[in-house]
Amino acid sequence: MAISGKRNVLSGLKVKEAMRRQVIHLPKSASLSQCIGTFIKFKVNAVLVTDEDEQPAGVVSKTDLMGAYYADLPIDSPLEMIMVGPPLFCGEEDFLEDSLDIMYGSGIHRLYVRGGEENAVTGVLAYPDIVGLLYRYCRNCKMSSYRRGGEMDFREVMGQIRVREVMGPSVKSHREGESLLEVMEGLSAHRFGAVLIRNDAEEPVGVLSKSDLIVAYKHGVSTDVPASEVMASPVVSCDEEELLSGAIQRMIFTDIHRLFVHRKDPREITGVLSLSDAARARSGSCHACVTSRIKVEQAT
Amino acid sequence: MGTKARDVMDSHFHTLSPQHTIAEAVRLFREAGHREGKRIFGMMVTDDDGRLQGMLSMYDILLFIRPKHVHIWGEMEDIDIEGLLESIFRKAAAILVGDIMTTDVVTIGPDTHVMMVLDLMIKKHIRRLPVLEDDRIVGMVYISDLFSYFFKNLSQI
Repeated sequence: MAISGKRNVLSGLKVKEAMRRQVIHLPKSASLSQCIGTFIKFKVNAVLVTDEDEQPAGVVSKTDLMGAYYADLPIDSPLEMIMVGPPLFCGEEDFLEDSLDIMYGSGIHRLYVRGGEENAVTGVLAYPDIVGLLYRYCRNCKMSSYRRGGEMDFREVMGQIRVREVMGPSVKSHREGESLLEVMEGLSAHRFGAVLIRNDAEEPVGVLSKSDLIVAYKHGVSTDVPASEVMASPVVSCDEEELLSGAIQRMIFTDIHRLFVHRKDPREITGVLSLSDAARARSGSCHACVTSRIKVEQAT
Repeated sequence: MGTKARDVMDSHFHTLSPQHTIAEAVRLFREAGHREGKRIFGMMVTDDDGRLQGMLSMYDILLFIRPKHVHIWGEMEDIDIEGLLESIFRKAAAILVGDIMTTDVVTIGPDTHVMMVLDLMIKKHIRRLPVLEDDRIVGMVYISDLFSYFFKNLSQI
């Protein structure tokens, strides 16, 4: 009897094909300051925390560090005070779909991977890595929205997509005079990775991200200071009508994951474009596919 | 046969200042390599008094220049990224050694046994270990020198 199931470009793929074999870990006695240094150096969003026996005990993310900053914890406090544990795991030989289900169901962005004879931690499976993998697979999938379109040359299609077709329309912002505490409350309430900062004339003047905040924490900046003292400025943005390829190019050259989008005038911000959404749009991933559920933390 | 770190360490070590730029550090790596007759991929970083402040390795530099989101855009072969490398190198060249060096440095003493040195290098994935005596740098043990030491002694058995 034929068994029908969900069509999914990830079907049959294993965790080992998408995981990164680099586990950044710190002992639970390491300081928050040391942890922030590790985040910056390795360009990661979380570290695995280990116990005295070098076994996994928890995870510390940028959100946890921002929480510590908000709570005014001393920067030399040990990681065990803020780590979230135990970590969630999957196996190298597990199916990617099953692991994605765990991530989706638990509301987390990464799973640590066990493998080998000793069942040691051998890597990390994170959404952004899967987005890159999907780009390759979805483009070749016969159900890709671009392939369904007929014989049109892929490059020609790619050259026609505009930013407005892919951008997210909602932008939340804070005023440059609001304190870091207030901005952190906003980021936390909306689960954003970064927020637009406007001046009193409602003009966009900067972006404040969790990364900026944890660096400020490490440098001993008070949470009472205004956002304008820590934000990254100017705002990197693109026009709604710009070709998506041009916007992606700008993200590549500035090494950022999100661009704010304006309508003609850079002062009129109308949305945000993430590199992940741009990749998904260009890959032709269809909504019937379970992969469309992958969401990477948004900027607004 | 000597069995201590002092027997395998290189006393002709080279150092960097935290104020050197990455471009200067890379040039100093190359010059030190010419002088020593071997490739140098890591150096100790010292303050004005010669005290160890950190280490800068090739890996630290590679980590810095790796674009954060390349795992997403790296598959987009049709995007024109001509000039990207020059742009990355320009930014990296001006960064100071003190900004990206490893400060959590594992060190050994001159009397540390070579097997302990080997164990440390394997367990902690370290290719070079500074040797300190009374907080002063007296040498560096490179994994290649350690291998040469074992190779030489193994071949004599």
